[in-house]
Order: sequence, then structure tokens, then C-alpha cells
Amino acid sequence: MFFRKYFDKRDGAIRGYDMHSPKSRVLSIIIMLLCIVMVVTALFPVVWVFLASFKDIKDFTRNVTIVPQHFDLEGVKKTWGQLKFSKFYLNSMMLVAGSVVCAVIFNGLLAYGLAVLKPKGYKVIQALVMWSLLIPSTASIVALFRNINMLGFSKSFLPLWLSYGANAFWVILFKEFFEDIPRELVESARLDGCGTLQVFQKMILPLSKPIIMVVAIFAVTAAWSDFLLPYLVLNGSGKETVMVKLFSFKDTPTNAVSMLRAVMFSIIPPTILFILFQKQITDGAAAGAVKG
Amino acid sequence: MKKKTKFKRRDLISWLVMLPSLILFTFYIWEPLLENVRLSLYSTIRYQTVNFVGLANYARVLKVPDFKAAFVNTFSYTFWSLVIGFFIPIIMAVLISETVHMKSFFRVGVYFPNIVPGLATIWIWNYFFTPGPTGVLNILLGKIGIEPFVWLNNTKWTIPLIVVTMTWKAAGSTALIYMASISGISADLYEAATIDGASIWQRIRHITLPSINGLARTLLIMQVISVFQILYEPMVLKNGGPNNASISLMMLVYRFAFRDSDFAGAAALSVMICIILIILSGVYMKVAKKKEEY
Amino acid sequence: MKKKLVGFLGATLAATMMAGMVAGASEEITVTLGIWPEDTLTDEIAMHEGFLEKMKEVRPDVTYEPAYYKYSTDTFMPMVEAGTVPTVFESWFTEPQKLIKQEAVADITDQLEERGWLDAMNPSIRELLSDENGHVYGVPRDGYALGVMCNKALFEEAGLVDENGVPQFPQTWDELLETAKTIHETTGSAGLCLLAKDNAGGWHFSNIAWAFGATLVTENEDGSFTANLASDEAIAAMEYVKELVDAGVLTADPTSEDWGTGFTQLATGGAAMYIAANDAVNQPTQANGMALEDLAMCAIPAGPGGQFSLSGGTPYMFSKDATPEEINAALDYLEIMGKTPIVTDDVVAGLEADAQMRKDSGIPVIQKFPCWINQDFLDAETKTIEENANVDPALYQSYFDAVSSDGLRTEEPGQTQDMYAELTKVLQAVITDADADIPALMQTANDNYQAILDNPVVAEAE
Repeated sequence: MFFRKYFDKRDGAIRGYDMHSPKSRVLSIIIMLLCIVMVVTALFPVVWVFLASFKDIKDFTRNVTIVPQHFDLEGVKKTWGQLKFSKFYLNSMMLVAGSVVCAVIFNGLLAYGLAVLKPKGYKVIQALVMWSLLIPSTASIVALFRNINMLGFSKSFLPLWLSYGANAFWVILFKEFFEDIPRELVESARLDGCGTLQVFQKMILPLSKPIIMVVAIFAVTAAWSDFLLPYLVLNGSGKETVMVKLFSFKDTPTNAVSMLRAVMFSIIPPTILFILFQKQITDGAAAGAVKG
Repeated sequence: MKKKTKFKRRDLISWLVMLPSLILFTFYIWEPLLENVRLSLYSTIRYQTVNFVGLANYARVLKVPDFKAAFVNTFSYTFWSLVIGFFIPIIMAVLISETVHMKSFFRVGVYFPNIVPGLATIWIWNYFFTPGPTGVLNILLGKIGIEPFVWLNNTKWTIPLIVVTMTWKAAGSTALIYMASISGISADLYEAATIDGASIWQRIRHITLPSINGLARTLLIMQVISVFQILYEPMVLKNGGPNNASISLMMLVYRFAFRDSDFAGAAALSVMICIILIILSGVYMKVAKKKEEY
Repeated sequence: MKKKLVGFLGATLAATMMAGMVAGASEEITVTLGIWPEDTLTDEIAMHEGFLEKMKEVRPDVTYEPAYYKYSTDTFMPMVEAGTVPTVFESWFTEPQKLIKQEAVADITDQLEERGWLDAMNPSIRELLSDENGHVYGVPRDGYALGVMCNKALFEEAGLVDENGVPQFPQTWDELLETAKTIHETTGSAGLCLLAKDNAGGWHFSNIAWAFGATLVTENEDGSFTANLASDEAIAAMEYVKELVDAGVLTADPTSEDWGTGFTQLATGGAAMYIAANDAVNQPTQANGMALEDLAMCAIPAGPGGQFSLSGGTPYMFSKDATPEEINAALDYLEIMGKTPIVTDDVVAGLEADAQMRKDSGIPVIQKFPCWINQDFLDAETKTIEENANVDPALYQSYFDAVSSDGLRTEEPGQTQDMYAELTKVLQAVITDADADIPALMQTANDNYQAILDNPVVAEAE
């Protein structure tokens, strides 16, 4: 039974016909076990956080165990209340929502220009975008933050949302996808009298659902995890996100268990999203590869 | 040629379509970069430029005692991330590609660390690497009767272990990209090889691996660029220690800017980092092209 | 939308104020209070709301706006650029000299002079808040002097208490090592939590170095500095740290311990002793849940070179954009809080409110380190503390005896943070490397520190 399924295998080096040899059978079992080890390694640290968060501080700092002595549910609730996490969740969701919209629209439009419209001089922009990949984003963050302040945008989500509209990597993802759309389709739409934006709206957008999904997924993860610019912009505004809170622990000494609980709280929403959309996410992540 | 005027109009509209995004790129990436270059050439009080000082800030940054350690370490991070972080995703992709049972579970499982926020990842590993009996890894070792290890406090291991934590987070998503590429390899190739008597290992070696070669090269340079900018992992885990064993160039930038308010120094160093990255990428692309020609 | 409206109103207000100034009419004064408590600290907020009520009577012409700001090095300078720094805010004890050099805070010498407060300020603290010309830039919130906080429960478990239940505090660093050993052997907990993750490591170490007779840096007559980290005394102090390491009496990983984790170790029984200051007694108790009666505090132990405790102060500082009127109004608020040398009924009430808040939050109400040295203020403060005492004074006696002696020292001059960073690196090497060559490490630290001193951060005009 176990080996029969290998006859349906459509990719990779091992094929159904290999299953006749005992050596290959052993090999495929070993490979399977190695994969299990990999998945356990990938999942264990997060499982551990969930377990450790239910320890109380003494249990955590003194006892040599993975599983808590008793599950301190009250303590977790108390930490949630003390740290006011509901507020941070809401703020984070606001940030994520706006960021995804900006990420898709602005990077998509720029890529549309570079891949399809190709106006005179577009190559300069293309080169600039490519080189932007090399620029350490943290390096010029002070200059950026000063600019944001000078425009009076501090303490608001707006500058953060818009910041997701300028991501060289996502522009390139969009661009490579758009380049694969047959030119004839675009030209025929043009001949039907569609304007530049109409082509985008009627032709490109409907075809681009997969890549929009990919960039949206990346943007959700990135916006949820981002902290330095949000910290600089939102700190003290009442709009702090979950990650801003986590980052500001560096200045606010907190005991290890509260810290761990905050870490756990920060992992829960992406985990739920991931479980719900696991297929789309893993398919998208693979499809979103930059071509070699 | 006769349609010239029409094309011009279309160009204008095209530029207008791109304009909002270009404004954002300018505001968020290009202008701050230029501002950094300008700042690096001046003496400053707070953020105000005072006098043009030429390359004095660069000279000053190079003379900072921690610079040498940070410079060497940054290359060490890059080296270890090539040794560990580059090959592991390829191995994972090949292994998962060769399974039939629970395949989608494996795919989902190894991708999972990628959605855990980076800051959370660092904190988790911080507790895994705690020396002494209460560290998570030491608890696990203790279960099989091995004495506690000091992990990051052994300066020979600090950088490789930090690279391991980064690999833990990133390897799964990279592996999925390789897997997509592997599943696109034609079955005929494998069958032909089998008929020629190639073993499973030979098929992987001569068919699977060569066909992901080009992809691997692109991912490699992306990885080098991102690892070169390593900042938060050593900062949160060990604050650059023990005794500078994990300090990185970006950590120095962060210290200049955010601890010392020395914005000119921070700007000078980040310009240097950009230059190093541009040189690295340039050299890499040259070498990659040459190889292709042969 | 709401935010925009507020911004608009703010701008209008500012414009009106400007117009008012031009016209010479009496203008509205607005003071933003960065010292407002964080929104999770409800007890403290209630206290400040009381102060606001009081201010409505005292200064009806001033609008005080809560504007909670937690100082951090990464947000402050950009805020200065943007002009969004609150009128008055609380900084860290490490920051005043840097902020003064960067011209990021207001000179309040004239205002303090007018009020006659300059001479009432504890001279050692005043020096920390002044530039080289004697101009003063801050008002101390709290003075502090380092001591050793002890987990009394662990001392009891190890049998190290006298007949009254007071821990047998170590008097010298050698005794501290012995005490730590006993505690480690009997309880399994670490004897001492030594810090070696960040600059706090060097900060603590300078106390040990002084006790061994070291002076870590000297100021020359021309204003330059000479590093002195590789003296025999400093090396001896580092050798002592190595003894602590070799004896295995420290926590599992000192290179992961910082100011905050140290209090967790102390409070949860991970370590029995921890170098900390009197103004941080809320950390083990309120923040880390230690029982009030388990906390005791003694002086920094003595060494061959004497007994020294590092002292300093947490400052209130003022936005560089604040007008003299605004600074005066902010000083009035600090007065009501009981943070100035003035003693009135309102101030006594303010001190009382503070003590009550501490009692309610389970924080020890203990003597303070004198920021102001005028007798009437000291008396008023002592009286409130005695009336609200919630801990056994015997548990703190040795500490207060020491800090009223002449063993108090302020931070070493020069770029102290860089010196701490270099010392911390040596600590890390000593902790992680059993074969560490201490004289060589100290020599390297010395050379590095000297290079930093000779290579100043702010490049002067050419």
C-alpha cells in the first residue's frame, strides 16, 4: 500500500518503477522520515512558545521542563489585559489592511508601466527600481522619518500604508507576471478602443489574480511583522501595533513570561490566517519566485 | 515615425499612470538615499548640517574601534549563510519532492516559520539558546543525557548559530520556490536516465540539480544582499557580543543613529554599505555571465 | 479626520499665539506634559489628574496637556527636528550631557535663578545637568545611588540572617563572593546577577573598579581625557569578576542579562543579589511581583581601595523650543508634584499622594536620595516617608548609612557610554572564555576607549 502510491508520482527522481528494488524502498522511507524531522523542527519553536506562555514566571525561570506544571490561563488573560492587546490587534489590522491595498495598487501600476506600456525612458526607472533592491532600508530610515515629520504625517497610519507602495521586489514580481501576458491581448484591447487605464482594468487585472494574491500575502506578512518605521511613526500616538509594542519592550523592562505571552499574541493572527489559506499561500509563494 | 505624435500622448499617459508610484519610490527610497549621501559629507548637530567636511566622517567611522570586528563579522555572516542557508532549502526541496505521502503537509509545515514575525522569531530563539539548564535546547539535550551547552556564548558558534535561526525562518519559503521548479522538470528526462541505468542519486545529481541551477543563482545573490544587512538578530540576541563576536555593520549604523544621534556617521557608514553591496552584486553578475559563456 | 481637526486646531492656536505675541497682549500658555504616566498605570494617572485640578487654581492662565512620552534615543532627535518634543519630559540619567551637546534641550538657568532654586540643588546632581559653562538644563526627578538589592527569602534559606531576620549583608567584595557561594550551594540559585549584555555591565563594573582603587579616566587640563582602564587596580577588579565566574555563582548567562532582566532574576529567586539603585525599588516589586517584605538593600561592598557608590539623577528636561513662560509654567507643575525645593501645603499633599500611590501599588516607600538640599524640603520629605513607611527600615539601613557617607561618586567624565561599552566587552570575554587574558583585554579596551576619546563624534567646524 505504502509504496503503491509512488506509482502516481509525477515529479522528482524517484518513480514508481523504483519501488521494485528494496534499496529504493528503504531510501524512500528514510526520505519520508527526514521530512518529518524537518517539519517537527519547523513547528517545534512555535509550539514551545504556546506551551511556555502558560507557565508562571517562577515555573519558567526555575524549572527544567518544556510543558508547564499547570496551565496558568488566568495569567495569560491578565497579561492580555495589562498589555492592552486588543487595541494593538485592532491597530495592526488597520495597518495591514491599508498596506495591502497600497502594495497592490502602486507596485502593480508601476509594473504595468514598465512591463506593458513601456513609455520613452522607462528603462531608467527600471534600472532605478532594480538597484533599489540593493539599498539597505534601515540605512536611510532616519532621513525618511524626518521627511515624514516635516510633512506633518507622523502619528498616523498614512505614511506607513504608502510605504508599502514602494517595494522594488514586488514591482519586479508584478512586472515578470505582466510580461508573460501575451502582447496580442493588450494590442487587441487597444484596438477595441480601450484607454491605458481601461486596458489595465479590463484586461490585466482579471488575468492577474494569482500575482495579486501573492503580493497581498507577502504584504500581509510584511505589514504584520514590520516594526522599525511603525515604531518611529506611531510610538506614543495610541495607534501602536502589536510589533511596535513588542519592539518597545527594549526600553520597558518586562518579565520574561509577559514577553513570551506578547510573542505568542503576535503569532496567533498570522497563524490563523495561514491555517485558513494554507493552500493559496504555499502555492502563491512558490509561484511568486523571481525567474532565474 | 508617422505616428510619432500619438505615441507621445500615449507616453505621457503612461508616465501619469506610473507617477503616483514614482512619487512613493522617490519619497521612501531614492530621496532619503541622496539625503544620506549629502549628510555623510557634513558635520552635524542633531540633524542639521553645519559644515562641509568632505570625507572626514568616513575617516572617522573607519577609525571606530568596533568597525573592524563589524566588517569582518558581516562577511562571516555572509559566508555562513552560504554554507548553511543556501544549501538547506535545496536539500529540503529535493527531499520533499521525492515523497508522495503527506506531501502537502510537509509543504505547509516547512513554510510555516516564514509567517512568524521576525521579531517574535528572534525572541523565541533567544530562549532556545539560553545557556544553563533552563534553556530550551539544553532541556532537550538534558533529556538524552547531554550536559548543557553555552550556545551563542561560545564565540566560535555565535555567528553560525545566528545564521541557523535565520535559516529556520527562511528556508521553507525558499524550498517551495525550488520545489515549483523541480516539479516542472519533464518526466521523460528521468525515464531516459533510468533506462540508461542511472541510480536515484545520479538522477538527482545530473537532472534535478542542474535544472534548478539558474534559480539558485538568483536566490543566492538575493540572500547575500539580505544577509549583508543583518541587524536585529545579533542586536536583540547578544547586543553584538560576546565581546563583539556578533556585531554587524548595520548594527554600527543603528548605534550611530539611534544611540549616539551621530547622523553623519550613520549616513557615512550606510553609504559605504551600499557601495560594498553594489560592488558585490556587480562582481557576481560579471562572474555569473562569464560562466554562462563557457 | 479627528486627528486632522486637532492638528488644524493646534495650528490655529499657534497662529493665534503668535499674533498675540506680536500684539503684545497676554498670550495663552500651553504646556505639554511628556511626564504624564503611561495609560496602563491607572494609579499614577489618577494622581496626576489631581495635580491638574490643583493647577487650575494655581495657574489658571496655563493649559496643561497630557502628552505621554517615553524617552528613547531613537525617537528623540527626530522629534526635536520636527518640533514635537513635549514642553517637559523625563530623560535617562545617561542622556543629559549628550542632549546638551546636541543643543536639543532648553537652558533653564535663568528660570531656576529667578526662583532661587539653583543653590538648593544637590551640587553633584547639578553638575550632571550642567554644561561646561555652568548653565543648567534640567531638574532632577530622583537622585539615585547604587547599592545591592537582596532577595531576603534566599538569604533566609541559606541561613544568612541575624536574629532579627535581617540578612547578613556582605561588607566587602570578598565577603560578597563567600555569601554568593553559600547561597548557591544551599539554594541552587545564583548568588549574584552580574550584567554583561549592554552598557549597564560597564556601569555596574565601575563600582567594583573604584572599590579596588581604580580611576578609569582622567580629565586633563586642556580638556582632553586620558583613558585608564588598564591600571593594576582595574585589572584586579576584573580578576575579581573572573573569580565570580569561576566560582559559578552568577546566573546562567550574564551576557544575556540587562537592567530589566536583573530585576526579574532577583524577584523570582533566580539570583540573591543585584546591583541596583534606590529609585528602582518598584522594579522587583511592582513590575516583577516580588513580595514587599522579601526585598532588602545594602551598600555596595568595599574593596582594598575603599567603598564607593555611583550616584546620579533621573532628569526632567525641557524642549529646546519652549519659551521662558512655558518653562516657568512647567516648573510650577513640577513644584506641585513635589519635585522642587519648594515646600507648601500643596507640595506636601503632592508628596503624600505619591507615597500613597506607592503603598497602593506595593512599592517600598523608602527614603530618597536628596536632589534638593534645603532643610525644609528634606524635612517635609522625610516626614511623609516616615508616616507612610511600609517596610522594615532595618532592611535598608546599611544602604542609607553608606549613601550619606562620602563614598558617593558620580559617573566618570569623558564619553562614559563608550567606556562602559568597552568594559562590557571585557566582561563578556571573561564570562565566555575560560582562558581570557585579562591584562591584554583591558589594554585593548583602554586603547579602544582612548581612540574614541581622541576621535570625537561631533566633527567641529574646519
